[in-house]
Amino acid sequence: MSAAPSPHPPASPGTSPASGEVKGAAAAPQLELRGVTKRFGGVAAVDGVSFEVAKGEIVGIIGPNGAGKTTLLNCISGVHRLDGGDVRWQGASIAGMAPHRIAKLGIGRTFQIVRPFGSMTVRENAAIGALFGSAEGRRGVTGAFALADEVLELVGLSAKARHPVSALTIPDRKRLEVARAVATRPHLLLLDEVMAGLNNVEIDEALEMVRAVHATGVTVLLIEHVMRVIIGICRRAVVLDFGQVLAQGEPEVVLRDERVIQAYLGERYAKRLRAERGQDGTDRKS
Amino acid sequence: MIATLDSNRRWRRIFLIVGGIVAAYALLAPLTSLDAAQSANVPLLADRLWFRIATIIAMFVVMATAWNIIGGITGYAAFGNVAFFGIGAYTTGMLVAKAKWPFLVSLPLAPLFAAAFAALVGLPLLRLRGHYFAVASLGVGVAVGELVQNIDYGGQPLFGGASGLFLPIYSIDNRGLYFFYLMVAAAAVSIAVTWWVLRSRFGYGLIAIRENEEAAAVLGVNTTAYKVAAFALSAALTGLAGGIFSQWNVFINQDNAFPIEYNVQMILMALLGGTGTVFGPATGAVLLQLLIQFLGGSLPITFDIPFVSAAARPIVAQVILGLLLVGVVIFVPRGVIDFFGGRSRLSLSYLRRSLRETSL
Repeated sequence: MSAAPSPHPPASPGTSPASGEVKGAAAAPQLELRGVTKRFGGVAAVDGVSFEVAKGEIVGIIGPNGAGKTTLLNCISGVHRLDGGDVRWQGASIAGMAPHRIAKLGIGRTFQIVRPFGSMTVRENAAIGALFGSAEGRRGVTGAFALADEVLELVGLSAKARHPVSALTIPDRKRLEVARAVATRPHLLLLDEVMAGLNNVEIDEALEMVRAVHATGVTVLLIEHVMRVIIGICRRAVVLDFGQVLAQGEPEVVLRDERVIQAYLGERYAKRLRAERGQDGTDRKS
Repeated sequence: MIATLDSNRRWRRIFLIVGGIVAAYALLAPLTSLDAAQSANVPLLADRLWFRIATIIAMFVVMATAWNIIGGITGYAAFGNVAFFGIGAYTTGMLVAKAKWPFLVSLPLAPLFAAAFAALVGLPLLRLRGHYFAVASLGVGVAVGELVQNIDYGGQPLFGGASGLFLPIYSIDNRGLYFFYLMVAAAAVSIAVTWWVLRSRFGYGLIAIRENEEAAAVLGVNTTAYKVAAFALSAALTGLAGGIFSQWNVFINQDNAFPIEYNVQMILMALLGGTGTVFGPATGAVLLQLLIQFLGGSLPITFDIPFVSAAARPIVAQVILGLLLVGVVIFVPRGVIDFFGGRSRLSLSYLRRSLRETSL
């Protein structure tokens, strides 16, 4: 649990403010997974997963159903205890920490199946995130409601702030799930399929929402099945299959990977892609 | 829509006026028993029986309001809160009877001990959810009563054993009046605490735990600490009522300090009035305790229940309470405060909607 020095200690923001803008790979990782493993009985749902996320990135996690994507998010946010490996946040291990302590460090998350506080209004739901959440910039009840209003504006729920949650549509409930997590003032936001079940127009709106949140300086790690989303906003994608990292890299490149196509996209899509490649004759496999 | 709002406002006003009159009468009537009032020929509005019933009602207001903090606001159905009442009663009882402490010095230790005990058992107990927690807390409630009666020290029962514990009578003028106001003060404190909780960060955390504990945790709510704190706060207030009870009643034993039926009664009161609200449990406590006293035949206004002999009255009272519990849970799930508070109106469609909500 001690803050062992990382191989690449992050530059202290206090000592070198000028070096703030560091390009992708050169920056020390904000989040680092080292051989993260989680077993349920005999099944390793997540099996030795390692990758890094740098500050300011948007990284997508993709993979077929049951690949361990949500379990991985649960491991990062402290909902599950690790059976092996380590999760490091800004250079220090957070493995084994309780979920609320991880939230206080500035890691926010949403749930795939939305979990609103049913008896509260939309505004109160967001205010819970603002009242608790990250240890930085904590405020009182009045201040929390003010922040809740700002966040609802950001995700486009202002008009429904006083509605009970039960009156919300599914896309709006997903927005609220994001709003609540954003209200915790996170440095890193973990989004679990916030676009699933939405139609094309709603996906576009949700994409705008994620971009808006990212623009406020939040690193985003998201699970998504909708390829348009991954290609649209992620610079990097990590493919999981049977709990292991199958491939990672630029979304367009990763999605052409033969193994990824086999494991994830299915035979029909694989054939179509093969045909396309045959036409332009290129194979950009990394 | 506007018509409904207007009539809601009217109901709210009626509730406040009626509630205010009842409260004012209940609080001022005892003063007519003072010597000064009697020598000025003010009619006696509160005799010994009145004091007894009114103090019991205030005691249940404390217990139902305290239960609401863990059961209503946090959503953990505690079925063993009577343990804290008993611990409070025995803390004050032991200090006054055995250690010869003054009553008012030993009274603050009652909520303290009860809260400490709640924190201790709460840590393992509050890891359980739903009916597991309910059953486990019920077990604690029963066990503590048995322990208190049966613990021996040096061959002597430590807490008075089966023959109970006698406290020296608290010598003060107008004792009935004194303990009535003391219990009312405890009720006021518990209602004020609930009011504060529901407006504080603490309270929002508790409600979040009730609505979805896992979501609350990832938003940064320290669920374990909050649950234990809510349990301890609930226990402290319940223990305070117990502490006052022991000196008021002068005699405590397992039967009157750990009555199992209190567990059900305080929950029923909170449900009847409206869980999770500030005034709901108190309203429920007044209504239900009046009904209990009425069915038991101890109110001045009483009549024979047809086909029921005087001896069978207590049994019939239990049956009626049971039926009431079923009826309230099914038809008035948000409690009667829902009608008074200006949110809904009592109507056939309300009952039908409730039935639909509460049935599978």
